[in-house]
Amino acid sequence: MNPDQHPKEGPEARFRRVFAHLQPVADYAARRGSSDPEAIAAETMAIAWRRLDRVPLDDPRPWLFVTARNLLMAERRRNSRRSHADRALAPQEAAPAVESADPAVTRALQALPERDREALLLVAWEDLTPAQAAEALGIAPVAFRVRLLRARRRFARSLAADGLPTTPDVLEVKST
Amino acid sequence: MNAMDRLRASRPVSVPIEADREALFDRIVATPPSGAGPRPARRRRKLVLVAVGVAVALTAGTAVAVSTDLFGWHTDNTFIKDPRVWRKLYRDATHELRLPPGMAWPYRTLAPNTITNRSEPGGMAVGISQTAWECYWTEAIRAGDTGAERSAQAALTDLVRHHVVVAPPGSPENVAPPAGTRPPFAIYASDGGIQYVKHNYALAAAGDPSGVAQSCRANRGDLQIPPVR
Repeated sequence: MNPDQHPKEGPEARFRRVFAHLQPVADYAARRGSSDPEAIAAETMAIAWRRLDRVPLDDPRPWLFVTARNLLMAERRRNSRRSHADRALAPQEAAPAVESADPAVTRALQALPERDREALLLVAWEDLTPAQAAEALGIAPVAFRVRLLRARRRFARSLAADGLPTTPDVLEVKST
Repeated sequence: MNAMDRLRASRPVSVPIEADREALFDRIVATPPSGAGPRPARRRRKLVLVAVGVAVALTAGTAVAVSTDLFGWHTDNTFIKDPRVWRKLYRDATHELRLPPGMAWPYRTLAPNTITNRSEPGGMAVGISQTAWECYWTEAIRAGDTGAERSAQAALTDLVRHHVVVAPPGSPENVAPPAGTRPPFAIYASDGGIQYVKHNYALAAAGDPSGVAQSCRANRGDLQIPPVR
């Protein structure tokens, strides 16, 4: 039995607590460039229901994001298998992996290695704690902190290189 | 504004989900959960790995190493790194499968700098056929075309019966079915996934396309599904 579950709580009641995160999962998929975030979220929830015994109920977001990311990767693999001709016919479907509301931020994010970018975004956009983000990425918290620090440095450098006026934080990050 | 604050401020706005959440919830919980019993069974996980005839593949020239237990499920350590081999296996599989009327098999190949189990192309073809028929069934139900509904149901029933195999519990991802299993086929993990698929098909057979529609949306990718005629 999952240690987070109340002994008398039925599976539907437990799943209701997981299902409450449907919107954040759809947001996660949308922010990562999914062509159909609602479908990714729905499929994620269907998997969560089938594996409810494995889903941490205190905060299932790391588990849900891992599952959604796997579905996103499958979606990208399908797209990557298209021929060059297909791509030429449907260039609008070649969505970037991430799209922010700030073009400079988008450029800086796209300049990062994917794992650094994901570390940053799990904390900055999905509001996970470093420990939760580490869980979502399947790495140790200490390793995550190292990755996050490196990602912050690279991100700040990319922003600065793109003409962002330097701020104390950017200078501080650049100097570390 | 520092870099992290700027990153937080750039978070795209949330787009509210349009789907009926309660209907989605009800549809999901209509199938048994893994945690319902005292010893939960693992639920569906559709393996990426899929299988197609090894005998055909061996003629294609890529070096292989096979660890085989001829009398049962076994670990398949054969790999493809040549896209030509991958495409031949995929093409062979398409000859064994059907698509909805008017649909052509999409081009697929091995992604650059990738290796994969040589059973994967056939399973890819099975997945394409399955998704295509699910989408077709969805449209047929919505269009009220009972003939098309019957075609889709028959195709998917045949697909599940003859081109889907379920791996034993605890199998690794590179598991392969017993020798002699007729390819092509997709391998499902023993976690209830195929029961979920059958449940969705039962709903569709009763006129409710919600399950097959969700699967269609989640899996269709770039597939060009022709309209129901």
